[in-house]
Amino acid sequence: MKNKKSGIFATLFFTVISILFVAPIFVVLMNSFKRKAFISLSPFSMPDEKSYAGLENYVTSITKYEFVKAVGWTLFITVLSVIVILVCCSMCAWYITRVKNKLTKLIYLLCVFSMVIPFQMVMFTLSGTADSLHLNTPWGIVIVYLGFGAGLAVFMFCGFVKSIPIEIEEAAMIDGCNPIKTFFSVVLPIMKPTYISVGILEAMWIWNDFLLPYLVLDIKKFKTISIVVQYMKGSYGRVDMGAIMACLIMAIIPVIVFYLSCQKYIIKGVAAGAVKG
Amino acid sequence: MNKKRLMAAGLAVIMTASMVTGCGSSDSKKESKTDAKGSVYYLNFKPEADDQWQELAKEYTDETGVKVEVVTAASNQYETTLKSEMGKSKAPTLFQVNGPVGLASWKKYCYDLSGSDVYKQLTSDDFALKENDAVYGIGYAIESYGIIYNKKLLKKAGYSQDDIKGFDDLKKVVEDITSRKDKLGFSAFTSAGMDGSSDWRFKTHLANLPIYYEYQKDKIDNTDKIKGTYLDNYRNIWNLYINNATCSPKQLSTKTADDATSEFVTEQAVFYQNGTWAYADIADVGDENLGMLPIYVGVKGEENQGLCTGTENYWCVNKNASKDDIQATLDFMNWCVTSKTGTKAMCGAANAMPSGADGMGFVIPFKGNLKSENPLVNVANDYVKEGKTPVSWNFSTMPSEQWKNDLGSALTTYASKQTDANWAKVKSAFVDGWAKEAKASK
Amino acid sequence: MEKSIKRYWPVFILPTMAAFMIGFVVPFLEGIYLSFCDFTTIKDASFVGLENYAKAISDKTFTHAFSFTTVFAIVTLVLINVLAFAVALALTQKIKGTNIFRTVFFMPNLIGGIVLGYVWQLIFDGILGKFDLALKLNAKFGFWGLVILICWQQIGYMMIVYIAGLQAIPGSLNEAAMIDGANARQRLFKITIPMMMPSITICTFLTITNSFKLFDQNLSLTSGEPMHQTEMMALNIYDTFYGHVGFEGVGQAKAVIFFIIVVAIGLIQLRATRDKEVQQ
Repeated sequence: MKNKKSGIFATLFFTVISILFVAPIFVVLMNSFKRKAFISLSPFSMPDEKSYAGLENYVTSITKYEFVKAVGWTLFITVLSVIVILVCCSMCAWYITRVKNKLTKLIYLLCVFSMVIPFQMVMFTLSGTADSLHLNTPWGIVIVYLGFGAGLAVFMFCGFVKSIPIEIEEAAMIDGCNPIKTFFSVVLPIMKPTYISVGILEAMWIWNDFLLPYLVLDIKKFKTISIVVQYMKGSYGRVDMGAIMACLIMAIIPVIVFYLSCQKYIIKGVAAGAVKG
Repeated sequence: MNKKRLMAAGLAVIMTASMVTGCGSSDSKKESKTDAKGSVYYLNFKPEADDQWQELAKEYTDETGVKVEVVTAASNQYETTLKSEMGKSKAPTLFQVNGPVGLASWKKYCYDLSGSDVYKQLTSDDFALKENDAVYGIGYAIESYGIIYNKKLLKKAGYSQDDIKGFDDLKKVVEDITSRKDKLGFSAFTSAGMDGSSDWRFKTHLANLPIYYEYQKDKIDNTDKIKGTYLDNYRNIWNLYINNATCSPKQLSTKTADDATSEFVTEQAVFYQNGTWAYADIADVGDENLGMLPIYVGVKGEENQGLCTGTENYWCVNKNASKDDIQATLDFMNWCVTSKTGTKAMCGAANAMPSGADGMGFVIPFKGNLKSENPLVNVANDYVKEGKTPVSWNFSTMPSEQWKNDLGSALTTYASKQTDANWAKVKSAFVDGWAKEAKASK
Repeated sequence: MEKSIKRYWPVFILPTMAAFMIGFVVPFLEGIYLSFCDFTTIKDASFVGLENYAKAISDKTFTHAFSFTTVFAIVTLVLINVLAFAVALALTQKIKGTNIFRTVFFMPNLIGGIVLGYVWQLIFDGILGKFDLALKLNAKFGFWGLVILICWQQIGYMMIVYIAGLQAIPGSLNEAAMIDGANARQRLFKITIPMMMPSITICTFLTITNSFKLFDQNLSLTSGEPMHQTEMMALNIYDTFYGHVGFEGVGQAKAVIFFIIVVAIGLIQLRATRDKEVQQ
């Protein structure tokens, strides 16, 4: 009896907190339908006759700022980079956990180091290096992301690999599998949850990243969502807030759809990956 | 065993090969480009003129076959972009600096323009960045700023421009409007937005006045140690701006120049400090209603003061570009300021672009300058004709960005609480900050 | 087995390591070199020795940014982890709608970056404006504004990690303790928390490094106003590059100092929590 009562109370409590949690997203949605002059004037009021802008903000951001193209490139870079990071780093992590010597230990330490490096420290040198290797395309930037994102991925994969019983792999090897086959047919399936966990962390980072693509990509040809949004803040205080809000909504939608459609795996993945870490 | 090794090696090759495809593809692109002689890569500073530059570049390519690429830096990212792009193999051939201070970091990269055609087009050496005989930068747009006002509203309040001949007059008019604010239905000033994107109107443009008068008095044009002789005047005009505006002075940190613009356009205020470049944004008020006043700060002899006129946009050519590229860039610059299409695009307002879009509306310091259709520019010219002395732009001598930012913060703090202690902070940012920054930047 | 794997290094570690070299090691070493140089772009560096470091250390805004960041990191570390842990505990109880709540709390993770700062700025200023106050006028508002923003973004992720950790604790342990007469508090501190150490390690590590590296949100929410008082390390370094003529090297030197500090903290923290982990 007592339990049930406190259960209802808890549900109520969390409902209120949840509403507070999504409120900012709602504010954005609301403001994306207002004319830009009214956004900072009265951020919390619903659009009324005077301030309602219809779909104007959405149309502007799609036509004037080439938003769709930006979504395309962002999607391309994110998906490709995440796949490459997952495959390469999990292999690397498996190798350095299974082969114990000074070199692998050094690699592991370097990876941990690289996780805490502020991007500002390498921003100009990285853009220089990437340029001299002609990595300034959406294909090339994948390598930069692999390099700069390897730290976190290898670190997290290593944590998980340690918890895999080595006997399974040994059995596979005795059955005549070479290490590559062993990895892909035995280790990889076990690590599935970790893939999701690392994948989300890396995907969120790359999807929202601004400075790295801005400095590395050939800005004459390729823009990502974050770069486009930054262009909406013109110089001399001209800020197209309406278009920014519309862009934000459009940028969130694919992410939320993706999240809702695989949320079961994501939650499981985050959990599994991190616990073993 | 051997087979496995081979496979391993093969896989490695495939993986690394897939990694370097980025290299391969861009290499081949590069080769195909070499048959056109020289190309231009312009890193543009003015986002509001991006569309026009893109169109102009295309026009030029169609006409001459020379490739011109224009990139505009994202908001507040010009220096980041320039630093990063200049370090790349295909660096900009044409870029911008904002004056002597900006030139100090980039001088090593600037091609001496003294022998170029475009320099010969320049009407006055005042618009060139010269050091000894070398010309490192050429100003390409002259702009003026002051207090833009709405004639209709001023009349409604019972005044006209003839009533304002100095700071005291301005103060009287402004305070009278404020006292009748509710009855009139509008305020004296638009909000003096101090959001980081917009505080340049006050930390840079307004701050030019005390610096200008000090330089005038001491007969110098640059200094490592500013005295702040006219800081009290700065305080007076700032007080006037913030206490007679559409919003409470405590709200200024959240306001942007955009807000001020929309307040002006929707006739919520009479006065609005801004420059000729703002015309496109405020054209809705109607040309016949637009006027411009000098920024009076209460210095003796200011009845002869005109608008603040100068340039903050200098073209520089990258010395390290290939010879062909440099030549192509110089040709492009010259074309922009001499050809019909180029000058029309740079000076014209409505329908000035070949495509029918609006032009950039600049006044250019070149022989090919066209008469402006921008009423604000014409106001500025009228002041000169009347014999008023234009106030030069001295903010290009401000020691660093840091100095401006610190002054901006201090002004915002002061606006929220107008005490002497807070003004002392402004003073310290202005005077001590100047000395400190000037020293640091040596 | 180790031996047979070892020969396959070209497949397993070469691609990652090659990219790691390009994307991290080379720029990093170059960055260290540049911190001893005077330069405008990376092409024209000239060696100046320790001058940049001297300038960096004597810069008061830098030391302030350091203490501000440290305080911020501690506050968010405690807040995020305690709240996320508490929410995780609650949401593993039998409460209606736990799945929806988990989803909602996790959502803010999915959006981020610079734009988020603008949105929150709008919200904070909208609220503060009602009291005639503003975010950028007062360093305290700026600080707590940042804290709220970061908590909002990160609590969900950490919560999921903790939930997973909680679910991995065998129920029998708690039952046994209950039979032995342990109360709820004792069970929490004697069983749950020690068993959760691996999750706590990863969460504290992530929150600390995130706080120290925080840049986007800082730039867009307060941009350091008023007077550098809410400026964090990364933003301070970034501003140094552009604030003065010829300070690029100083910015780079600050970055090196910053890096050493963060590495030290990260390692100490990892060691401290790893020691407490219970072997499962």
